Amino acid sequence: MKGFGVLLQKEWREQIRNFKLLWIPLVFIIFGILEPVTNHFLPEIMKSVGNMPEGVEFPWPEFAPKDILVSLMGQYQSIGLLIIVLAFIGAISSERKSGTATLLYVRPLSYSSYFLSKWTMINALVLFSVWVGFLAGWYYTSQLFGSIPATDVVAFLAAYSLWIIFAVSIVLALSAWLPTGGVAALGLFLTMIMAILDSVIGAYWTVTPWKLSTYASYILMGSMDYPTFWKTAGLTVFLIILLILFGTYMAGRNAAKTTV
Amino acid sequence: MSVLADIPWNLILPILGLQLILMLVALIDLIRNQRTNGPFIMWIFIIILLNIVGPILYFIFGRRQS
Repeated sequence: MKGFGVLLQKEWREQIRNFKLLWIPLVFIIFGILEPVTNHFLPEIMKSVGNMPEGVEFPWPEFAPKDILVSLMGQYQSIGLLIIVLAFIGAISSERKSGTATLLYVRPLSYSSYFLSKWTMINALVLFSVWVGFLAGWYYTSQLFGSIPATDVVAFLAAYSLWIIFAVSIVLALSAWLPTGGVAALGLFLTMIMAILDSVIGAYWTVTPWKLSTYASYILMGSMDYPTFWKTAGLTVFLIILLILFGTYMAGRNAAKTTV
Repeated sequence: MSVLADIPWNLILPILGLQLILMLVALIDLIRNQRTNGPFIMWIFIIILLNIVGPILYFIFGRRQS
């Protein structure tokens, strides 16, 4: 773990210089505000642009405050994950390609601190964005729809954060292993498409990391079967550790592929 | 004018403000960097004309990391 602090500072400076520290939280906040506001004005929007015949009464579903947070999570599961995966696919692989990694590999730094510094910094950035986005959404929901108890929201966010950490670990481990194009394809497959597949055909098993987001919404609704959840959380933590070890190993093995 | 007054500005303004900040950050970065994947002018139009999505596209695909 030599040089972990220094590498963490380097990562921090990099996230500032390429503006990721600014635009990723901003985008999540915008989506967090948009979701409750559009749901609140949906009847009026449909009235003005929906081209409905005179006198038609459409029974709008009454949204409970918690439904809004769940549908915001649905947004983050599609657009949010897409942004996270695409923004960080090059975290390690493009450093190899551009030759920045050469400057690091010639110094006496361990691969584990190299990988872990990236893992820590990117997770901190992404979790911060997701939390701020949900806080903005929570505030607007409580203003427009009704309040949600803070303890429920915190439990929901904690469960969802574990899934986000898992997704970031996948992207980083792949980035250490493959060139950028391969990371994009496999990363999107392992996060978004697997989540969809798991919800379509995954009725036969209950313990997979891809069910974490569904379980997070169950926790929010108060209908979670906790033994199942703890098994899932345990498996996810185990897989995250495996991904970190794999990423560290691959960062070392691919060191020779660096452009000099 | 009554149409304008009917819009709940206190709800809409934060969204517009954040979108404007996002757009300005992307534009400032584009003008300072100058080097993009694809034509420079095209990215200016994408950032200004596409709400929210434009700046995201620029930061992910248009920005050349160096």
